[in-house]
Amino acid sequence: MPSLYEFANPVRFERWARPAIPWLVGATTLLLVAGLYYALFNSPADYQQGDSVRIMYVHVPAAWMALFCYSLIAVSSAVGFIWKHPLADVAAKETAPIGAAFTFLALFTGSIWGKPMWGAWWAWDARLTSVLILFFLYLGYMAIWRTFEDKTRAARLAAILAMVGFVNIPIIKFSVDWWNSLHQPASVFRAGGPTIHSSMLPPLFLMAGAYMTFFAAALLQSMRNELMARRLARIDSGEKKTAASLVES
Amino acid sequence: MRAFQAIIARDLRLAFRAGGGAPQAVAFFAVIGVLFALAVGPDLSLISKIAAPVIWTGALLATQISLDQIYRADREDGSLDVIIATSDELMVTAAAKAVAHWLSTGLPLIIATPVLAILLNLDRDAYVPLLLSLLIGTPGLSLIGSFAAALTVALPRASLLISIIVSPLYIPILIFGAGAAAAGAAGDPQYGANLSLLGAATLFAAAFAPIASAAALRSNQD
Amino acid sequence: MKKKTRRFYLAAGIFIFAAGAVALTLNALKGSITYFYLPSDLAALEEKPTTAIRLGGLVETGSLAYGETEEDGKPHVAFAVTDGDTRINVAYVGLLPDLFREGQGVIVQGRFTPDGDHLNADTVLAKHDENYMPKEVADALKESGRWQETGGKAGTGSAPQN
Repeated sequence: MPSLYEFANPVRFERWARPAIPWLVGATTLLLVAGLYYALFNSPADYQQGDSVRIMYVHVPAAWMALFCYSLIAVSSAVGFIWKHPLADVAAKETAPIGAAFTFLALFTGSIWGKPMWGAWWAWDARLTSVLILFFLYLGYMAIWRTFEDKTRAARLAAILAMVGFVNIPIIKFSVDWWNSLHQPASVFRAGGPTIHSSMLPPLFLMAGAYMTFFAAALLQSMRNELMARRLARIDSGEKKTAASLVES
Repeated sequence: MRAFQAIIARDLRLAFRAGGGAPQAVAFFAVIGVLFALAVGPDLSLISKIAAPVIWTGALLATQISLDQIYRADREDGSLDVIIATSDELMVTAAAKAVAHWLSTGLPLIIATPVLAILLNLDRDAYVPLLLSLLIGTPGLSLIGSFAAALTVALPRASLLISIIVSPLYIPILIFGAGAAAAGAAGDPQYGANLSLLGAATLFAAAFAPIASAAALRSNQD
Repeated sequence: MKKKTRRFYLAAGIFIFAAGAVALTLNALKGSITYFYLPSDLAALEEKPTTAIRLGGLVETGSLAYGETEEDGKPHVAFAVTDGDTRINVAYVGLLPDLFREGQGVIVQGRFTPDGDHLNADTVLAKHDENYMPKEVADALKESGRWQETGGKAGTGSAPQN
């Protein structure tokens, strides 16, 4: 049943999201161009791996985003579940496909990097297995949204799954510290500071920035689309309140 | 406490009927074992190498196909709403459902395992580790599975969605369970570590699956 | 039982289960589920395992030796894996990965010979540590004598001393 609360927030959201998106797209383009330039031309080859280390600049930020997106889904789900903020569920729903894509990118580029570096396309060590589990969690989460027609119900059920699956995130992060594994330990976010040379940090952070602004732009656009679709659905079902408020915007 | 027992008793009665969940699960488990034995053929040493993982995978799959039934009958005859309304604590009811599921699926599978192990030429040393790992791991499968069943109870045919939801959550149990069975058979010191993590997974499921199931059941009420 | 009391018992029960899970996990991590064994772990066993296992460590400097080459171009290789305390001999037929070199981390997968003398490897993977730096920096560190070979965490290879 629609209430004023439901309409007020999405309208305000539309007001700041719509102009923000072109700026985010612009920032993404700049950061991506700068990041790729640094990654390919303005950073050194590694003393051991040579030029194949440059895959790191695509792989590592993708992995960061994979974890970040799932954490965002879990937090949004909790907010939506407890306080029933209408935008929280929409944010969680729209984050999932983007997060799944980043996870796939991380797995795919990791595999490409693993073949020359380790000598294997894949290995069942703790880090790789738990990231694969993360990918399946994303798929399960998206499947729930698709399966239930009632969006309110889908939101609650998906939120429960997201919160249950959150236990995987610390496992992914700390698995390389807890267990002897094939995947190397952390190089950037670790106690004792980064073990990666400072000349390699700019492309890493530029690419991470590019991924983040891309994520923000894609998320905001998806949320706008979803909110628009919901309003159209409400019009179709013949609720006059919605039509009236639609006229003014 | 009486409600807890009553739910378990009722579910067990339903499960052990002809056409109920229990005979189905054991039959499916046996079929998987037989198919592998036939497919591998006469190479006895090969089949005995993969016997423990095949049994673990068979137990997992047999459990998975029985999950849809956990709340299905209650939903169809309307008693699910009654149960939700009259439960003092819905999470206790959900826990009872999981226990009943294990008693009607996991336990029969464990009992059937030695027979299948003979068929698959399992190493003598591997029997105890395999059974122990199944004993610790299958309750976790039932707990996680009943959560997935609660999530999907409102759907007419939920099997595919249940499989998608449950797969990432089952993978750690499979890895640690099959790992424990293999390590125990080989006298490997990682046996204890694998069993510990397996136990941790089941305990974690026991702590959080009932409360998550209760939330899911409430969300699925019409 | 009053509702509050019941809630309390339930919360306590959940907490006990969760705490038990954490305790078991910590216990297991001490015993360490590992992707690979260290040479010292294997030396501590009375009998070498007969199943396929993974062994990880550093390639012992000076231990790499090439034998005859098969028809398909795969050479016979022998080297030793060490963690600073113990060494295990490994025999392998095939091409080694690009990053494989003496003094660097390696993970081999294979079986021991029946007499426990050496490991016949089916797979050899080079393990990369968490250090990334340009070649010039590595050379400079080596020249100034601040380059340290570390046994590190299960064969993480060489690292600069800061």
